Amino acid sequence: MPENTPPTPEPAPAGIQIGVDQWVEQADERRQRRGVGGRIAHLWELLPPAGKLAFLTPAIIVPFLPFMNEGNLFNYGVFILIYALLALGLNVVVGFAGLLDLGYVAFFGFGAYIYSFLSGTHNEKSHIYTHHWSAQYSILLAVVICALLGLFLGSSSRRLLGDYLAIVTLFFGQAFVIFTNTTDPYGLTNGSNGLANVDPLNFRAFGHTLTINSVKGYYWFLLGCVVVVLIVLWCIAESRTGRAWKASREDPLAAEMMGMPVNRLKIMAFSLGAAIAGLAGSVFAAAQTGAFPQNFSTQVLILIYAVVILGGTGSLTGMIVGAIAIIATNQVLDSTSPPNNARVIFYVALVLGVVLTLRPSWKKIAVALVGTAVFGLALHAIVDAVWSRGTSGQVTSGGFLTGVIRHFVLLPTNPGRLAVYGYLLMIVLIIVVVQLKGWWRVIAFVPTLYLTAFVWENILVENPAVTRYVLFGALLIAVMTIRPQGLFGTAKVEIV
Amino acid sequence: MNPALSQQLRNLAGLGVGLVAFMLYAVYFSPTQGWVFFFQLTVNGIILGSIYALIALGYSMVYGILKLLNFAHGDVYMIGAFIGFGVLTLLGGPLNPEIPVALLVLCMFVVAMLGSGFLGLAIERFAYRPLRDAPRIAPLISALGVAFFLENSALLLFGSQFRNYDGYDLISYNGIHVGGANGVFIQYLGVIVIVGAVLLMLALLALVRWTRLGKAMRAVSFDREGAAMMGIDPDRVIAATFFIGSALAGAAGVMFGLLFSQIYHLMGFLAGLKGFTAAVVGGIGSIPGAMLGGLLVGLIESWAKGYLNGNVSDLVVFGILIGVMLVRPSGLLGTPALQKV
Amino acid sequence: MRKYVVAALAAAGVAALATAAFGSTQSPSRANASASAATASVACGKTRTIGLAAPITGPAAAIGNQQVRWAKYYVKQWNAQKANKNKQIKVISGDTQLGVDTAFAVKVAKSFASNSKVLGVVGPAGSQEVVASTSSYKGGGLAFVSGSATRTTLTDGHTDGNRRGFFFRVVPNDSVQAPTVANYITGKLKAKRVYIIDDQETYSQGLANGVESRLKAKGVSTTRDSISQTASDFSSQIAKIPGNTQIIYIPWQLAPQAQAFGQQLKAAGKGSIKLFGSDGLFAPGTWKIAGSYDSFFPVDTNAGAVKAYVKAHHGDGEYFGAPSYVAAQVVVGAVTKACADGKASRAEVRKDIAKSKLKSSILGLPVSFTAGGDLKGGGFGVYQIQSNGSFKRIG
Repeated sequence: MPENTPPTPEPAPAGIQIGVDQWVEQADERRQRRGVGGRIAHLWELLPPAGKLAFLTPAIIVPFLPFMNEGNLFNYGVFILIYALLALGLNVVVGFAGLLDLGYVAFFGFGAYIYSFLSGTHNEKSHIYTHHWSAQYSILLAVVICALLGLFLGSSSRRLLGDYLAIVTLFFGQAFVIFTNTTDPYGLTNGSNGLANVDPLNFRAFGHTLTINSVKGYYWFLLGCVVVVLIVLWCIAESRTGRAWKASREDPLAAEMMGMPVNRLKIMAFSLGAAIAGLAGSVFAAAQTGAFPQNFSTQVLILIYAVVILGGTGSLTGMIVGAIAIIATNQVLDSTSPPNNARVIFYVALVLGVVLTLRPSWKKIAVALVGTAVFGLALHAIVDAVWSRGTSGQVTSGGFLTGVIRHFVLLPTNPGRLAVYGYLLMIVLIIVVVQLKGWWRVIAFVPTLYLTAFVWENILVENPAVTRYVLFGALLIAVMTIRPQGLFGTAKVEIV
Repeated sequence: MNPALSQQLRNLAGLGVGLVAFMLYAVYFSPTQGWVFFFQLTVNGIILGSIYALIALGYSMVYGILKLLNFAHGDVYMIGAFIGFGVLTLLGGPLNPEIPVALLVLCMFVVAMLGSGFLGLAIERFAYRPLRDAPRIAPLISALGVAFFLENSALLLFGSQFRNYDGYDLISYNGIHVGGANGVFIQYLGVIVIVGAVLLMLALLALVRWTRLGKAMRAVSFDREGAAMMGIDPDRVIAATFFIGSALAGAAGVMFGLLFSQIYHLMGFLAGLKGFTAAVVGGIGSIPGAMLGGLLVGLIESWAKGYLNGNVSDLVVFGILIGVMLVRPSGLLGTPALQKV
Repeated sequence: MRKYVVAALAAAGVAALATAAFGSTQSPSRANASASAATASVACGKTRTIGLAAPITGPAAAIGNQQVRWAKYYVKQWNAQKANKNKQIKVISGDTQLGVDTAFAVKVAKSFASNSKVLGVVGPAGSQEVVASTSSYKGGGLAFVSGSATRTTLTDGHTDGNRRGFFFRVVPNDSVQAPTVANYITGKLKAKRVYIIDDQETYSQGLANGVESRLKAKGVSTTRDSISQTASDFSSQIAKIPGNTQIIYIPWQLAPQAQAFGQQLKAAGKGSIKLFGSDGLFAPGTWKIAGSYDSFFPVDTNAGAVKAYVKAHHGDGEYFGAPSYVAAQVVVGAVTKACADGKASRAEVRKDIAKSKLKSSILGLPVSFTAGGDLKGGGFGVYQIQSNGSFKRIG
């Protein structure tokens, strides 16, 4: 390369970039592309959206073919698709229209409860409800009711500024959980036991019945739903309404001046998001053959938000990719999954993290990784010699990595307090690493990586179910502070 | 009289009328009649309300300065409660304290307040400061992330077992009887909580009104850039605000632990929501508003649990919030937000 | 315009794909892949697998871990016997997090059902979890034997669903517990004024209803209130309790809540009112309000196995988990019997469990099941908390 080509620009800083027009900046980025990656990106952009969809659909199906074992398909495939649907709906509210809806999970719950009520049988407090409506009617009614509820909630946003809207929606979400959990008017919600005898999807028309009873069936049905919703949303995003949403998100006052009915747009966004959540809820209730209040708790809300934020608000592809990433992690780190998968993924993610952080310089990456290995082995040997109880613990279901771990990580017989202090120290060190630059950062990485492995082996791997939530919380913080547009979103630029 | 002040006075008048009407209904017409029952519930409500007021103060102060709803505040409260429990256990536990009880309680408070204060500082530094100029959604989502992270870290580190302060074993089961043996009964512990909360609130008011830091806080909340031009360092003032707000939450956590004994990793969630309600009802951004709001939420919850079924008390509290938001969006003692065009 | 046409064609294509896939799943009957697991025979081999569903984490972790330890204790003893060298048992645990989220119980059930090696399940612990996870276990054809779910309507075959032939329990149910409690309150304690507080869960409400109706029939004046499982502040409910109440009946699932309630009661100056708990609160060390009563299944403390367990666990009997020992005994016995011919299916195991007959058990009585899945015979005992925190049988 000749010496006087312009240097590769620094990665864009987080948040607002002053003085650069978005389109110009994107054109600059496109011109900077080099190499094979650049060619592929160029070809991808040439594809029409239908072509992109055609590529993505097998990409979703293919990884699941080997998993067609029922349990895995349910836990991974079905949940990924349900969360993808939910993320698409939330994307309409947060990504397209820019409204922070913290009660979104209540619509999910309404959809599930309405479907369960209409297509199931249960009795409580001597009220016996035995409706066995066909799924097409109960799903339709659930979607319509949720849309109306979204309308109702959205209309309350008229008098409220951004933050207050977040508050009211948050309470709406909480009120839903409390309402279904504690009160039980006329035996409708069955309180904390939820509605349990729910029919699977029965489509009855013209004398024929189509029953979706198997996990595979739900998987295909949900896939169809996701594809249909994707197409609908893409069409809307490209339409007048979509452009109006984007305008009202960027600057509501200017949009109002240009004649867009901003209030009505907000209400429409709420309504559409709620309707999609209602659809997801109905199918979820059918797949789980039940609806329980804790299925719609704040944890689920944070999961959906993690999907949307990681994928990038406003981007449809991002929703799908985010759903796959988050829900797969969620399931791998579940208490019913074998821990060794989680361990492999953890170490791979750790190495990837180092690579991504120290990216252009291979030297630094090598030093960091090799340094950690040497440090670990040395420390282990020293502690082994000095204090035997420091290393005689067990590796929790190690699998094929047991040998390596036993020599590398300190495994005290009674981790207890040590693990707690280690965890706190690890957080401090991670913060330090983030603040440093250059070779100091590389040096700081060595104890940090080792401590992370220590904490993993001693606490985190035994409580994978909790670890994943810690991870998602940290993910939200990290994404917002480092790359607010997520993986596929567009960075916000402000023209000054 | 400026319109904002007259609006606030009208709000307070309306509130007063409502309270008196409720009192008359409760004492003379409700199924469980009687002054004693009403006053017992009121005393319980004031004790609970003091705790909510301390939490609400943190929310209000941070919102006033940064226009940020700090969802992680409830979890700072939870960590404060756990720190207090740690100190209690280290110094012998509720049944055999190694140092005199008064000193032990003081120690718990001081350590918990310092610990939560520093935690608040750290949260501000790493989760909110980089997002100072980002669109409004960004710090809110970051706050959600911090809240989730703290709750689950506590679960990971401390386990899921409820811990019990056994505060009554530590201090005393006795108390003051007002109005004879069948009258209103206030435990000594309840008195300590109310007195402690009042002292802290007075200290805060004194800080804001009479110290330079307080003046700086008021200036930064009014106009950050203008204050910076006048030589006030907004970063330091904001950090101090977070420290103080979180320290108050930590104190509230210890008080809750002493009074109601059980602490667990999710206690911050509901308490945070109620403290939040209190701050909003009282007028978010206003310190007297937060105190009033906290007291009000505590009283309403106590009355709802007493006169209605235990199930619906939370719903009632949230319902009141939504009602107030729709009728008076800026709260009881808040100033209506002006949107500059 | 063109992009809409393209999009519409793509939608049509996907719809066609989906319909083709539907065609292959269309079926008039409820046959599905996991039902085939129910009838499929699995080669037994030397190690057989059973599932264990209990609250390992969460507010009920104290009692859940007791169940896990007792069940694993039985399996350890079984595996240690020479005669069982080729009939080893492996246990897979699932954390149902009782008191946090019933949906976890469903997830655990589904993962057991889809693991074709699992032949039978011990658990779950809570009655609401049984109701929620029934369709998953039934779908997988798995039998599940609980050591603590006592709600009466679980076995009547119609009220909360029909799980006959799949669900069994090795403890007497609440139709036995409620009369025992009511009789003790009226007979031995001779109380006339009782306050009843439930915790809004199905187990608690069922018991509270049963006791309340029986007390009312005997002329005792009762008042009813409820709290939620997440509540810590009981001051208002305590204020409602009249000072001359004699007994407060609290059939709750979470012992720490009962402890906090007792302390707040005492702090409100009403410490002379006695508390009466149920089997969910049998947690010595956590609930230690001296003088309180508790109803619980009688455990034969002289049985050899119980004595050995107490010795191995530093003198702590952890009796709440003892029925899980018996449940494990039943499941392991049935699995071994079904595997006698080298192959076993879940349907076989279910039949063998239904026909189980243990001449004696550490519960002090023989074990066999009624048609509904209930234990034949058995009663409840009443315990009282002593000043050193231990539970002593008094009735």
